[in-house]
Amino acid sequence: MTNKSIKNQGLTSSRRDLLKLMGAASALPLLGACSSLGGSKELSARVVVVGGGFGGATAAKYLKRSAPQLDVTLIEPNKVFYTCPFSNLVLAGMRSMDSISHNYDELRALGVRVIHTTAQDVDPVSRTVSLGDGGSVRYEKLLLSPGIDIRWNAIEGYDQAAAEHAPHAWKAGDQTRLLRRQIEAMDDGGVFVLTAPANPFRCPPGPYERASLVAHYLSQHKPRSKVLILDAKDNFSKQGLFMQGWNEVHGDRIEWVGLSGDGKVTRVDAQKREVETEFGTIHKASVLNVVPPQKAGFIADRAGVTNESGWVPVDPMTFESTQVNDIYVVGDATLAAPMPKSGFAANAQGKVAAAAIIASLEGQRPLEPSWANTCYSLINPEYGISVAAVYKIQEGLISETSGGVSATDASATVRKLEAEYAVGWYNAISQDTWGTRR
Amino acid sequence: MNTRIALTLALMIPATLAFADDRSSAQTALLAASCANCHGTDGKLAGAIPAIASRPATALESQLLDFKHDEQTRATVMPRIAKGYSDEELKALAQYFSNIDAASKQR
Repeated sequence: MTNKSIKNQGLTSSRRDLLKLMGAASALPLLGACSSLGGSKELSARVVVVGGGFGGATAAKYLKRSAPQLDVTLIEPNKVFYTCPFSNLVLAGMRSMDSISHNYDELRALGVRVIHTTAQDVDPVSRTVSLGDGGSVRYEKLLLSPGIDIRWNAIEGYDQAAAEHAPHAWKAGDQTRLLRRQIEAMDDGGVFVLTAPANPFRCPPGPYERASLVAHYLSQHKPRSKVLILDAKDNFSKQGLFMQGWNEVHGDRIEWVGLSGDGKVTRVDAQKREVETEFGTIHKASVLNVVPPQKAGFIADRAGVTNESGWVPVDPMTFESTQVNDIYVVGDATLAAPMPKSGFAANAQGKVAAAAIIASLEGQRPLEPSWANTCYSLINPEYGISVAAVYKIQEGLISETSGGVSATDASATVRKLEAEYAVGWYNAISQDTWGTRR
Repeated sequence: MNTRIALTLALMIPATLAFADDRSSAQTALLAASCANCHGTDGKLAGAIPAIASRPATALESQLLDFKHDEQTRATVMPRIAKGYSDEELKALAQYFSNIDAASKQR
């Protein structure tokens, strides 16, 4: 930073303080009534957000409500966004696709400019995002919430064409519809095979909730059918609770084979719905659901913020990229362990990044961040389990300050309560992210 | 001393204080933002999970402390979450949500 810019910053800051003081009398009654993350009324700059999922939509909303004069543009190709959370309920016939859909009307009403196109490239030098519709947008701060992309061919034979026969359904939408149709069309007595990847991947408990709810559907509609999980790891999220729940509710309908039991799938024949494991065992499926290895969404690569892992390293205080200035990245694409790749975490990171962007534009140091996460999973519609945690910065790293999973000896009443809270959580985070009320 | 400088200095002292207040309230707002994921934006969404906006600060604070010290029966995630915050942070959160107008239409 040059002397000149330091000087200018000082002038701006004292001018702002004076303005603040002048406005203080009228502003006081509002203090505490509005949850501003620090933006002053006159703060104006162009902030571009790419990706309208949990991370990006939340960031756009909290930027705008904290600093209404900011010019906030959200780039999102889809007019309707389907959430991965609760898409397992759609697969099990418990919910409609419509019930997991969200649009951008409320964000527009807040004053966010929403452009429905793809972000194709980022030039950090000219601070420009080029768009799929041929246009481009300039930014002073850029926030990417790119989600995940599939690592096609990381498992031999699993490419985009294969996903039309053996869906991943790890991005909600047409893939969810396809897998639902296949499950419905499956013969009674057929086997639903789900292959789960090694860590890290989007939604760590997701494959196991999916197995649970598909088993629930099968128990009612195809009672001779089974679920087989072939896993590339030996441990998974909420493992003890899932296995206890499967035992109590699903008996031997669900079989799980971990890495050391030869559960790692290395080849897929999607047409034949057949998989081969590391040590050459062939499993035939009636419905084959491949949850493949993943990486950060491609725009992160284009912006130069990914590292050799395929994911995005960030400064834990701000979620600004450690590789490119003024680009903030949130959600599943980031390396933010011990925070999981969850919608809840993306929402929490979106708020921290929004506050950090505002602080930086005002020339202030970032606020002390904190995040929470809660992931509910359903064993069946009346049996919920959860993992929850609070995270803060300790010695420069994101650390879990408290947390844990549901009690193993919880009563049926508590399991039912957690299933109800799962629905309450879904409604609340949808409202907090997109403004959707159901 | 130049009158303008004197005036500016006189104004600057309370201005700095006002700024410190803003920063501390922004800090609490950021801490509180995590609660919205289950209780709705500003803690105003009532459903299976209760709204927390506009409830008396003392009631919210004592409930949070009860969660923290495992003195709430039928609790699920809140004891695991409350333990992640200091007593001062829980007090600030309770005051923050008690000051939110549950009826206001802000998005």
